[in-house]
Amino acid sequence: MNYFMSSPIKALVAVTTLFFSISALADAGHADIGKPGKASATQRTVEIVLGEMYFKPETLNVKAGETVRFVLKNEGQLLHEFNIGTADMHAHHREEMAMMMQHGMLTPTGINPERMNMDHSQMGMGSMKHDDPNSVLVEPGKTMELVWTFPKSGALQFACNVPGHGEAGMMGQIVVSP
Amino acid sequence: MSRYLFATAALLLATATQAATYDLTIGKTPVNVTGQPRKAITVNGQLPAPLLRFQEGEEVVLNVTNALDTDSSLHWHGFILPYTMDGAPGFGFAGIKPGETFTYRFKIQQSGTYWYHSHSDMQEQAGLYGPIIIEPVKPEPYRYDRDYVIMLSDWTDQKPHTVMSKLKKQSDYYNYSQQTVADFFREVSAKGWDAAVQNRLDWGQMRMMATDIADVAGYTFLVNGRTPEQNWSGLFKPGERVRLRLINGSAMSIFDVRIPGLKMTVVQADGNNVTPTPVDELRISVAETYDVIVQPQDDQAYTLFAESLDRAGYARATLTPREGMSGVIPELRPRPLLTMADMAGHGGMHHGSMAGMNHESMAGMEAETIDHSKMDHGSMAGMDHSSMAGMDHSTMNHGGAANAEQTPANQVKPNPQSGLYPTAANGGKFLIYNDLRAMTAYPGYRAPDREIEVRLTGNMERYIWTLNDEKFVDADPIRLKYGERVRLKLTNTTMMTHPIHLHGMWMQLDVGKGAFNPLKHVISVLPGQTVYADVSVDAKGEWPFHCHLLYHMHAGMMRKVIVDDSGASI
Repeated sequence: MNYFMSSPIKALVAVTTLFFSISALADAGHADIGKPGKASATQRTVEIVLGEMYFKPETLNVKAGETVRFVLKNEGQLLHEFNIGTADMHAHHREEMAMMMQHGMLTPTGINPERMNMDHSQMGMGSMKHDDPNSVLVEPGKTMELVWTFPKSGALQFACNVPGHGEAGMMGQIVVSP
Repeated sequence: MSRYLFATAALLLATATQAATYDLTIGKTPVNVTGQPRKAITVNGQLPAPLLRFQEGEEVVLNVTNALDTDSSLHWHGFILPYTMDGAPGFGFAGIKPGETFTYRFKIQQSGTYWYHSHSDMQEQAGLYGPIIIEPVKPEPYRYDRDYVIMLSDWTDQKPHTVMSKLKKQSDYYNYSQQTVADFFREVSAKGWDAAVQNRLDWGQMRMMATDIADVAGYTFLVNGRTPEQNWSGLFKPGERVRLRLINGSAMSIFDVRIPGLKMTVVQADGNNVTPTPVDELRISVAETYDVIVQPQDDQAYTLFAESLDRAGYARATLTPREGMSGVIPELRPRPLLTMADMAGHGGMHHGSMAGMNHESMAGMEAETIDHSKMDHGSMAGMDHSSMAGMDHSTMNHGGAANAEQTPANQVKPNPQSGLYPTAANGGKFLIYNDLRAMTAYPGYRAPDREIEVRLTGNMERYIWTLNDEKFVDADPIRLKYGERVRLKLTNTTMMTHPIHLHGMWMQLDVGKGAFNPLKHVISVLPGQTVYADVSVDAKGEWPFHCHLLYHMHAGMMRKVIVDDSGASI
């Protein structure tokens, strides 16, 4: 998990990551979105600022197969997500995030570790954890990292799927060039 | 005319960005909304009045000329400004006499979606209302490609005074949906004879009718002045984000708004940004505004469908990729029947109320919370509602049934037993006040210094609407001290929804989010509901505080709020 991030909530995210990622990886089977990269393989570092409701920059140009280290700075006042995927994956993940918000696992400004680590299987929620490897939650004022190896091609977007954020404009395009 | 207006404003903006002059003339203009020629009261000949675009920080100068033969006024709804510029006659402002021009001057201290309307002689009902957009200094916390005003209103061919006098003579004059003998026998077959009879007896004893959702019927509902047939349309390209600024400029009509096929993400309420909330449907009360962002992905027309709360009709608009297209228009849903839960403020939990209840929906309730034993059935059965208006219901034990969803007090949710309980047409998410969370913390947030209870009261049969049982003309002003923070306890003892509006100061509706409780200029209080709102008393002067249902205000549901350094208590 050490490619993931370096911040005080690293441990928390590492724990939650264990539970969460199954659905996203399953989805990832339908479309090649790339995979978590090794920090040692990083070819380039890109800083992205997250705020209400924007990413800066909001367009990413990457080369086929490139491994990028993302430094994700949340300069806003709300919890945000940086998630790499297809439009369909984002739409699906939005619903999961809405449910996590509804159940108090996520609040507008952060992660509720107690709720997040509860066993939600009794609630008919299946593998409800925020631990997709293609996604990082960044609390207000925090900085997180994600290393990602992009595929050869693909129509990818990065989005914040906290309920309402993507809808209000917090979404960016990834252009994979050969 | 409006083009001229904007050209003038634009020219001035170009030369001196921080001060613009607007020339507005109130007059009568021939219109034909229903097939009958009528005269509307307009601004610069337009129905609705022209869109005004201000900049936050701008010093505006508005020269308003009254070309009517009666007094008039323009009130800048929801604005933070000096009370003498607020435009409410009798509150440090004399109104505008026929033939005269009044010049409003004030600095724009806020941003978002607002509106303006007459505060004289029920002229709003005749067309005197228009939208306002204030562009913010800072970037907005959401992005969009297109921006449309959706101003809802209710048109009647009758003169407002005619409507009012009919309401006074016979309060159910416009209740076209009175229950018939056939309805009664349907109810008998559904509930059994005793329950059906008891239900009728209960309503009779309350001197009300289960179909009393809205006072006035026969309205034609408009979007930006267009009838459903005239179909106001806005263009989009698939994938674009479209901001819709919903404004309810109606005199009397509350709407349930949806766009089948699209989620609406609520980003602003009453001009203030809120944490974006995706919903399938929302209820916009009179004088409220909601800004939503939609993102139509398909190459098809979408219908914006705004049903009046009593389901008497609808306003309609279309979002379309090309001109001339229209979407499917949904059927009106059945007219709701008020239940005894809507009588909670009247002690609606006496035994008869169970007859009208849907027992299925009670399945999830704790049986032991429904305790009717403490209620005095005998004394309530014969009660006349006119005499109940003055009662203190706070000591009544509603047994947790009628108000189950309203505790703790800061959970501002509708009562599931209410006949007006909002249910999204597609079974999805319906916006409620509890969903609203301010995007930024209110700097003035702190514990209130004191609480003032304002009971929303009335006598439907006599069409008397009051606050704390007193009509405006009879009541002493509410006196507030400059600098204090006051908690308003709004208790609706009636069976109608009342949109309560305070001029000049924000009401911070308590939905349990502390400093992030939303700021509102209108709080719509449901039948039998109690809500709390805190006001930082930061504006000296005389301010109206009233129900924004036009005929309710006219009937007396208003107070003068005086803010000064002494603030002698009420």
